[in-house]
Order: sequence, then structure tokens, then C-alpha cells
Amino acid sequence: MVGNDAFQEADTTGITRPVTKASYFASDPDTVGDTVGEAFELARKGRQGPTLVDLPKDVSNAEDVARPGPAAGPETQVVPDEADPEAVTRAATALANAERPVILAGGGVIKGNASEELRQFAIDHGVPVVTTMPGVGAFDETHELAMEMAGMHGTGYANMAVTHCDVMLAVGTRFDDRLTGGVDTFAPEAEIAHVDIDASEISKNVHADYPLVGDASTVLRQLDEALARSPDTDAWRDQCTHWETEYPMDYDAPEDEPLKPQFVVEAFDEATDADTIVTTGVGQHQMWAVQYWTFTEPRTWISSHGLGTMGYGLPAAIGAKVAAPEKEVVCFDGDGSFLMTSQGLSVAVREDLDITVCILNNEAVGMVRQWQDAFFEGRRMASEYPWGPDFATLADAFGAKGFTLDAYDDVADTIAAARDYDGPSVIDCHIDPREDVYPMVASGGANGLFALQEEHL
Amino acid sequence: MTGELPGPAPEERPHPSGRRNEQGIRIDPEAEAEPEVRREVLSALVDHEPGVLAEVSGLFARRQFNIESLTVGPTMTGGLARMTIVVEETDPGVEQAKRQLRKLVPVHAVRELEAATERELALIKVGDDDPAGVAAVAEMYGGEAVEAGPEVVTVELTGTEAEIDAAVEAFERFGVREVARTGTAALAGGTEFTAHETHNNE
Repeated sequence: MVGNDAFQEADTTGITRPVTKASYFASDPDTVGDTVGEAFELARKGRQGPTLVDLPKDVSNAEDVARPGPAAGPETQVVPDEADPEAVTRAATALANAERPVILAGGGVIKGNASEELRQFAIDHGVPVVTTMPGVGAFDETHELAMEMAGMHGTGYANMAVTHCDVMLAVGTRFDDRLTGGVDTFAPEAEIAHVDIDASEISKNVHADYPLVGDASTVLRQLDEALARSPDTDAWRDQCTHWETEYPMDYDAPEDEPLKPQFVVEAFDEATDADTIVTTGVGQHQMWAVQYWTFTEPRTWISSHGLGTMGYGLPAAIGAKVAAPEKEVVCFDGDGSFLMTSQGLSVAVREDLDITVCILNNEAVGMVRQWQDAFFEGRRMASEYPWGPDFATLADAFGAKGFTLDAYDDVADTIAAARDYDGPSVIDCHIDPREDVYPMVASGGANGLFALQEEHL
Repeated sequence: MTGELPGPAPEERPHPSGRRNEQGIRIDPEAEAEPEVRREVLSALVDHEPGVLAEVSGLFARRQFNIESLTVGPTMTGGLARMTIVVEETDPGVEQAKRQLRKLVPVHAVRELEAATERELALIKVGDDDPAGVAAVAEMYGGEAVEAGPEVVTVELTGTEAEIDAAVEAFERFGVREVARTGTAALAGGTEFTAHETHNNE
């Protein structure tokens, strides 16, 4: 039947090929087991990522299926044990002689379980750490070396550090455009040592002076052994501290105005433990969550990052709670993002998952509106959405518990009540609809020219 | 809109004078940033099975690599085929194409061929008003007529891409009706292996 456009036929392997590590069509009952085994092995091997097996009906119905052999990944995929020692030596020399070194920690640090090694390396050698968005949690944001997230909505001090560094040790990052801004102005005077387990990421977007292909913790250990001495970073660290005071993430929260989303994020952070898992959708709420929550542990920040898939927050919270039932899970969502997958509440109720959703509701697809205001002279199109449902009522209708939050005086109590509720709860938090996200680096712009207000864009 | 943060405005901050080109390579701030494009022959040893060609060509299309030709055919090893891909890319572009190819599961080895032996086969169908002239041009380019008359002659010839370009142009005066070209096939020069199982995506 395959290829005849039968009922509900779609070219599943063809459709998924560009977005998977591999997409298999298992047409043979004798080998289907091996194929499934290979798909699982490949998903875990090297740079982790999804694989897919399309099982045709006759194979899934087959009774005579061969017993698979031990699961093995494809022989063509080679993961190096360690980085080229010669490149390691050269990178270590550059780092030892650096005057303004920075470590850029990406999501690969977390996926590769290398947070501990990275922290030790940074602290032992006194190197300030900035992170990408997927790298949030790789380093303790309360540590004095932490410069937090760089990039489009990164902190001013992180972007100053990235712009002015002379050596960058980038670990497990693909130099996404949201991090780099325009590559012409990205760390324009820095030699870059790039550690990545995926060789195709080396020099893809930004040229690596020292290509280090390998597992993050292995290569960090190699670098540590090759480093004859730590760089002298005292003056540079003073400069970084100065930038931290020059560009603080301060905001006004007048009591007589609508709630500021930053305040709500901070209140949630204060109320919860350090190992609480935060998930988000995509948009302004996501940026406020990453900026104003203080992350100290890896695997506590779950977002769709460079893919930018609205609606990710609730399903991710469900997945996180199932995977780590002992941890508290908070989903910050936008009213726009939440509406994309809110039916997931039904799953959360069915599975009796104790998660808390906090919708930072500004009755808009806020980030789109922010861009329309900043770059299209305020011509708003399909970005304001005052027709959203009453989310507290919606949550109650699903059998979850709904709350509405409007006033500063109620923030602590409402958060406490929602967290206390044993099951999925939803806070519809009506925030100041005029609030926008800053700092902001214009798309393709220079990180060092981040805007602190709309007039700077 | 609100949300402004404190701190010096962009124009009040110090800025480094360095810059990078489009490939993210640091360059002299005064230098010309236009990278040079080169023609390169890549050879890939791949699984000889359905879908592999689609996977490779999909990769090239998706990542906007400039590809001049792509040929594929079986090798002496059962189950493996050789793909010859001619790309026109900058240095980083060629490197990136090789690395991306190596990530595909059906790809066993990829090499960039230097001093390769390159050949392409072409079938050129021309009018037969001047059979002696056609034969002379065919001979000049090492080709031969494989089908003659009544009104047309089909000439087969092999050569490098440039030779075939020249031959097609030479045949123009007899009226070229149609041309079918295979695209470049290539092997590494000398005793060197082209793309071999032992290379295994190193």
C-alpha cells in the first residue's frame, strides 16, 4: 500500500528526515527489532537527538518477528574519545596567556553532564562564565564568576564580556544567531576555542581558532591538564564586576500599577527550592523567566531555545514531572503560548501531576507586539489578543485548580495556594500589558550595542 | 512601552574595533570581506539503498550548498555506492559540506579529492547535414557516433566537464538537438584510495 496515497498516508520518513538524526522505515519483520535498537542507540550516541522509526501496519501486525540482536548504533557514526591533543595544547596556551578570557557554556554542557567539570574549571582558573539560553543552569548564577545569559535578551554585562573578551572557551554551543547577533561583531577580538561533540558545529557559524571535538567533560579535563598556569584575570574580573553594577537588571514595580512580570518570577523563585524545574513557552514570559529566576543547578531550566516552539511549556512541565516526580515543577507560560497546548491539562489531571502553571497574561502575543512596536512603527497586526479565555475557569473545567492574580498584595498568597494544591494548578496572572523585554540586541546587531529601552533600537 | 533598564546608552559604551567576515573569521577591519569560492570534488561512500540520494540531495538543498553535479553508482563492495559531488563553495563551505555529509547514517566515508581523475559522459544529438564534419569534431574530442541517421547523429564522448562544454559548443554549428550529461565521476589520483571503508568518517 505504501506509496499509493492510502488513507492517512504521509511520507513520514521523508517529512521527519530534516528534523531527526535518522529516520528509518522498518519494512522487514526480520530486521525491525534491530532497526528499533539502532534508532535508540543513535538517539543517545554523540550529540543526542531524536530518531524515528516508521512501522508500517503489516510489520506492526506481523506475528513472525525475528528476535533482535543486542542494540547497536550505526557503524558510520564515529564519536571521538578525546579532542586532538595538539589542539588542546594550543588552546591551553592561548587561555593561559589570555587577559580577558570568557567561558561560554552552552546546552551541550548540560546534555553532556559536564556542569561539575565546567564549574571546577572556571573557579580553579578564575574565568568568568556566560551561558547561552540552553546552557542556563550549567553554572551557578549566584557565583561571583557568573555573568549569566548572553545574546538577544541576555544581561548587559554578559554581552559586554562577550564583546570585549580576548579568548573565548565555548563549550557545547552551536553559536545560534540569538546568541551571536551579527557574526561580524560577535566577540570581534577573541580567539575562540570551541569544544563540541559534533564536528559539524565547529566553525559552522563562527570560526574556531582551536577546534576541540569531543565530550565536554573529557575535553575540559584535557584542557585542565594542559594548562600550565591560570590566566591573570584580576583586572578583567574587576571590569566584569563594574559592568554588573553599570547594567543591573533593575525594574520599577509601583504598587498602584498592574503587576510586573519580573516581580512575579522573582516571587516564585523565592518561594521554591533551588532544584525546582522551570519550563516555559516562547516569548516575553520566557525571557522574564530566564532573566529573573536565579538558576543554580543544571537541568532546572527547560525551554525550546533556538527552535522557538510556542506551546512547549505545559507539555514540558508534564514530561519533567513524570521524569522527576520528586522535584517541584513550575511552568511559566504566556497567554498566547498556553492556548496552543492547554489541552495538555487533561493529561496532567489524568496523571495527577502536581505541577504549577503561571500564565503571565498580557492579552497579547507580546514578543511579536514588541517587535511591531520597535521595528514597524507600532503597526500592530494580530499581536494583541484580548479575547483569551478566563484561564482560571478553563483550568477548573479541566478538573485542575484555577487562580487569578491581579494585585501585588496577593502574589505571595496566591503562589502559596497554587503550590499547595495537590494536582495541576494554573495561575492566570494579569500583568502590565505595557511591559517589554530588555536588554535587547536587535536581530543581526552587535551584542555590545544592546538596547536598554525602545529608543535605543 | 515600559521595561527600560538603567545604564549607559549604546553610543556611550566602548566598542572594540575588530570584526569578522560572513564566515565568522576574524579579519583585518580594513580588509575586503568577500570570501573566494572554489570548485571542489567530494567523493562519498554510501549505502546503496533507496532514500540515500534523497537524503544527500535534501541536505545540500536545505543548507543551501552550491552543488554543480551529483552522480551515484555501485562499487565493487556489495551494498555500497560511490557518490561524486562537485560543489562550488568557499573554504568553510566545503568543510561544512563534508562534515554534514559525515553525519548522515548511510554515509561511510567522505573525502575531498585533490588531483582527481575526473570524467563525465555526454550524449549529444546533432543534425546529420554534414556527416563528415560531425565525425571530424567527434574525433577531435575523442568521441564516436553511436547512432546515425536518418536525420540525426548521436555522439558519445567522455572527458572533463570543461572538455565536454567545449565539445558541445563545437557541435553547435551542426545544430545540437539535445544533450544528456551524466555529471562528473571521479577517483583519487595515484595509489590513494578515493573514499574507502577504512576512512570511516574520520
